[in-house]
Amino acid sequence: MKYLLIIFGVVFSFSTIQASEVSEWFEKESSQFLEIINNDEGTESDNYEKYKYFINKNFAIKSIAYGLIGENIINSSSKEELSIYLDVFTDYLIKTIYKLANTNTSSSITLKDVDIKDNIFIIKSEISDKKSSANLYWKVIDTGTSFKIIDVIVENTSYFVTKKSEFNKILRKNRGNLEALINEIQKI
Amino acid sequence: MKRHLKVILLLISVTILQSTNLYANEEVSKSVISYDEIYDPIEPINRAVLNFNFFIDDIAIRPIVKTYKFIAPEPVEKGVSNFFSNLKEPIRTISFVFQGEFYKSFNSIGRFTINTFTSLGTFDLASRVGMEKNETDFGITLAKGGVSSGPYIVIPIIGPSNLRDFSGDVVEYFVDPISNNVPNREYIAIGNGLNERVEVDEQLDKVRDASSDRYEMIKSIYYQNRNAQLEEEYIQNLPVPKIYIE
Repeated sequence: MKYLLIIFGVVFSFSTIQASEVSEWFEKESSQFLEIINNDEGTESDNYEKYKYFINKNFAIKSIAYGLIGENIINSSSKEELSIYLDVFTDYLIKTIYKLANTNTSSSITLKDVDIKDNIFIIKSEISDKKSSANLYWKVIDTGTSFKIIDVIVENTSYFVTKKSEFNKILRKNRGNLEALINEIQKI
Repeated sequence: MKRHLKVILLLISVTILQSTNLYANEEVSKSVISYDEIYDPIEPINRAVLNFNFFIDDIAIRPIVKTYKFIAPEPVEKGVSNFFSNLKEPIRTISFVFQGEFYKSFNSIGRFTINTFTSLGTFDLASRVGMEKNETDFGITLAKGGVSSGPYIVIPIIGPSNLRDFSGDVVEYFVDPISNNVPNREYIAIGNGLNERVEVDEQLDKVRDASSDRYEMIKSIYYQNRNAQLEEEYIQNLPVPKIYIE
């Protein structure tokens, strides 16, 4: 019983430390994110560059990109094709997040809770402006050197799930041709 | 006779949905849909209806919504939204009874009483005294009763739905104690529809240009939102990508 309590104590304190680390990282990065989305002074291209930097730094781009096409397509595609896809997808991710998040109204993000499931941190926050507020969840992994975002969920809509539906459709329509998907997402 | 017709309609819709195999994948829970397996057998028709809806929205509804949002001060917009939401509390009360959620049912009727008598529903005083709004409808009631979602359908003017949720909407229209007891109930339905369109205006603008396939995007968003109302740990259970070393 004593050992069980010790093990429980160690596990509990470890997850508490992890949760506080991810909270600290979140507070820092979300304030940078807010600076970008609330910025109405710089030019649009300046703003876009800031988004690009933020997303490259904080998103697990390869995991999201590969997760969206699935194992079968990854295994049947060449390294070169995958490399092109990754580059095009990075640009697509930046553009779509930019379009979804860019606003000129002053917003604030409040950290509400941090939960851990299967080594994935689920950060619950609330984004609000003068008019309204919305729940914003971030699914984050610890890579050992930094934290990386693998999904963003606004209210109940997951970026990963929504894009997976879209990508699946394009791939099914084109019999799993990755090049067709690349051409399609380049249009955005 | 009219009352009997309502009950028969409800029974027919439930029976049809339960007795036919309308969901795509046997392994998936009947009521919570896997995102990769959304059953969409009439996709070409749905796509055409969605394009028609966007066309009507562009030429008629969107300009009205934008003008309204430009003219109406924030408190007015909020008051109108509260008013229409309050009108749905009686039907939510009935839905919660069918779901066996008696506490939520009492909460809904309590909210309706408080908000109607204090401000005709334009101000949500009930939330201020701890009676938070709980969303539900007959589609959710049918889903909780194990009825499968059936095929995805896009309804002209109204938008995305599925056979189960649409059946729920039809039943609600006939059973709703509010719209059944007011003259010109169609005005309430139109007002409510426009109010719902106002509420999703910003999201809809973003869907228009942040997607490579807006039909798939809207379908996915619709099912995610419905699943969120059905699953306890919805956020935790959403699929995530496999992790690759960056």
